[in-house]
Amino acid sequence: MYRRLLWVCGGLTAALLAAYAAASRETRADFTYVNPSGIHTLDPARMSWTQDFRVALNIWEGLTTSHPETTAPIGGAAEFPPALSPDRTTYTFTIRDDARWSNGDPVTAGDFLRGWRRSMEPGTATDYTFLFTDHIHGAQAYVQWRREAVAALTALARLRDGWGVDAAQARGLARHPVYAGIRALAGASPLTPPVGEATGAWAAFASQLDKLPVPWDRLHQMLFREHAAELNERFAGVGITAIDDRTLEVRLIRPCPYFLDLTAFPAFLPCHESIELLRERHAGAPLSAEGLVAYDPQWTKPDFRGNGYPGLITNGPYRLASWRFKRRARLAVNPYHRDAAAVSCRTIDMLVFDNISAALMAYEAGGVDFLPAMDVPYDHEIARLARSGERPDFHLCDTLATYFLNFNCLTEAVSDRPNPFRDPRVRRAFSLAVDRPALVERVLQRGDRVAASLVPPAAIAGYEPPAGLVHNPAGARRLLADAGYPGGAGLPPVELLYVPSDQRVCQAIARMWEQELSVRVELRCKETKTYAEDKANHRFMAARGNWYADYYDPTTFLDCLATGNGNNDSGYSSDRYDRLLAQAREATDAAERFALLGEAERIMVEEDCPILPILHYALPIAIKPHVRGLYPNPRLRFAFRYVSIRP
Amino acid sequence: MIRLLARRLLAGMATILCIYALTFAMVVSLPGNPFQQADRSMPPEVEQALRARYSMDNNWRYFREFLAGAVQLDFGPTFTYADWTCNQIIAEALPVSVLIGLLAMLIAVQVGVPVGVYSAVRRDRWFDVTTLAFVLLGISLPTFVTGTALLTVFAVYLQIAPVGGWGTMAHLPLPALTLSLPFTAYIARLTRIGMLDVLGSDFIRTARAKGLAPRVVVWKHALRVAFLPVLSFLGPATAQAMTGSFVVEKVFGVPGLGQHFVNAALNLDAGLIMSTVLVFATMLVAFNLLVDVLYAWLDPRIVGAV
Repeated sequence: MYRRLLWVCGGLTAALLAAYAAASRETRADFTYVNPSGIHTLDPARMSWTQDFRVALNIWEGLTTSHPETTAPIGGAAEFPPALSPDRTTYTFTIRDDARWSNGDPVTAGDFLRGWRRSMEPGTATDYTFLFTDHIHGAQAYVQWRREAVAALTALARLRDGWGVDAAQARGLARHPVYAGIRALAGASPLTPPVGEATGAWAAFASQLDKLPVPWDRLHQMLFREHAAELNERFAGVGITAIDDRTLEVRLIRPCPYFLDLTAFPAFLPCHESIELLRERHAGAPLSAEGLVAYDPQWTKPDFRGNGYPGLITNGPYRLASWRFKRRARLAVNPYHRDAAAVSCRTIDMLVFDNISAALMAYEAGGVDFLPAMDVPYDHEIARLARSGERPDFHLCDTLATYFLNFNCLTEAVSDRPNPFRDPRVRRAFSLAVDRPALVERVLQRGDRVAASLVPPAAIAGYEPPAGLVHNPAGARRLLADAGYPGGAGLPPVELLYVPSDQRVCQAIARMWEQELSVRVELRCKETKTYAEDKANHRFMAARGNWYADYYDPTTFLDCLATGNGNNDSGYSSDRYDRLLAQAREATDAAERFALLGEAERIMVEEDCPILPILHYALPIAIKPHVRGLYPNPRLRFAFRYVSIRP
Repeated sequence: MIRLLARRLLAGMATILCIYALTFAMVVSLPGNPFQQADRSMPPEVEQALRARYSMDNNWRYFREFLAGAVQLDFGPTFTYADWTCNQIIAEALPVSVLIGLLAMLIAVQVGVPVGVYSAVRRDRWFDVTTLAFVLLGISLPTFVTGTALLTVFAVYLQIAPVGGWGTMAHLPLPALTLSLPFTAYIARLTRIGMLDVLGSDFIRTARAKGLAPRVVVWKHALRVAFLPVLSFLGPATAQAMTGSFVVEKVFGVPGLGQHFVNAALNLDAGLIMSTVLVFATMLVAFNLLVDVLYAWLDPRIVGAV
């Protein structure tokens, strides 16, 4: 009995080990770094994580790229600098004649057009459409037209399938021109859509829609055909034109001093034509029934083969050699890249360690050359080692990012309590009561910079952010009394919304408010997704927030607080602020423009206080001493083509 | 035997269906919005269209479509990792979990059974007492403690094992050992109790009286009976070792399925939550079924009894 058991168990163990050994034969790459959470997506039109940007910017190359040390724009796939019209609104890029894809194809202007369009189209685009609609001529109108059609098609597809529509879908349909046709068809029972945004009225309207005697399938088909047929013609109105294979002309709405910085951003990367091989088609058009651009997400896989698709083709100094989910990605030099011969590290490994402490141990043991993130529970100790010089391989990167609190300036009541933060005096009082240097230097001790403004100081050449507020508890109490809450009397309990990683700092802030202003603070710690949903729907009184700059200009921060901006979580709306931003947009002189932006920011952080800036992140990274050519920088962009290993 | 199998199969399928329905109900009632990113907001029209496209605007439709896909082993897309389907993620991660889990169980059986037998034979002597202490430790210490301890000793101080990760033979022993500890302890206890019970019974006395060597009596005759409780533990335990290794995966950076199980819930990734739950549930049911069959094979009286 036992012998048999031993045989079975031993045999199974041996077989398992043999199978595993056969499957795992991986050699070490020239350079190894850790990406703690793995790649979220490698689709440049969809990515919004710094870690994903890092991989993308090494395997693709935009019209411009970033300098490895300063991250200023330098030449990429196009000749640098491009031609600029006298009114500074039209850029003409000439693609280098030695720009090649990783299969040897020449990079064309059409490839850039394809990539940029993906970053705008509903269905393929996600977070960065605004970079196009804010800057490029005609992009806003095109995207708006597309989104309205998507809303109407979604509702029609639902009604066609007999599933009915909800309030939001009904609203989308009623606001589209096609609804006039529906009312004509419905004949005796025309439905008048409700006015305003009340969900209840729209839900009632939605339930009525379903009962209309309308041939929904024919209507959907009609609108779909019409929309699909008009697609390319409409897109021609966007100011991006491939004049010939090597010339790309971009017309801007107005002069944009940082446009060449934008063209180095992942959303502006090109896309090889082989993606068309994977295109899904609905009713003869490359759109889903809802009007979203349909595509096969497998296109970013290096080893995906289908419909003749050759696997991911990129135009950067590296190509994606293999990608195992949440395990590792290997980059290998792109032999067709013009600088391929000069690249020292021929293979790069990106390892995934869910647990950053384990990644740090692997770094110490020598299995990893570079750690671009070290947010471990003992980060204050890491920061101390970096600053004191005890560990010269630990570096603190002063990032272009701000951590702040949002005050809800919009909603009248939160959790059935009146929201005191609609009054700017209350926001200002709560801001004055927080001792930020104490938070940063005594509570967190990570080496972050204390923030007085939303835009980090000394980060953008020529821009001087305002001095901001200084800790003043007595002034805070006076302001609170002015606002009708003497000694905190009459204030409802204040809800502070945050995510688990903010525990220490938010508890400290709550204590400061309780001590200085005699208010009761309720800490509401939520999981990221729930927090994000509450924040976007203004279900908070105060909520943590952070913002990472997308490009080198104050507007990357300041636009978020403009009225109606999708990322304006505090719901701040100020005519003065909006007007100054608008004036800055039209300003032709750089100094004048920065002065206007500076005044806008001063009004925002010193008077209206919709947000309370707390700190600008200093993120620790670790670079082994034998690594050359890797520079700590504010955007955490790392170009591996310049890296070499000292023997 | 066939009837037993058929009945168990049907019951298993009903169990899985119930688990699916329960999980679905919990997933759709979770607060939060899976399409909501932490930093930026999505245009409402596009979010509406995506919801419609993934049938997430109508729970009943979603319930049916996901189930229809799952029956054909197509679990659909994930929202968190746009480039991967649930099927691809499971195909990448499940073999890792299965390998670690199987290895752990093999270690547990190969160590736990002999330890249990010796403790029973040498009852209350120093070997029995010492193993009892270790067994208690093994059962009560959580794997994040034992795992971290092993990691610190073998990877950081002695540097004879890698700190974590996956891909070479050297990555296997520490996580497999960590995961096996509680199971080893439990199996040793079960074997010991079973053996003590059996060693006092009549047929053992008869075997000894016949003059059989003590080794044969213990390892052949007694163990055959004493092993039955271990076997019924092995079914669910193997399934648990293969699926419940989240902590070990986290400590050693092993790319198994457990982490997706947990992360999917945090990300509100409905498709991935339901597909990992379904995979785990199926494995649990399958291993229990397998044990039932083995039981019937080892002890034919069972077939009649069920």
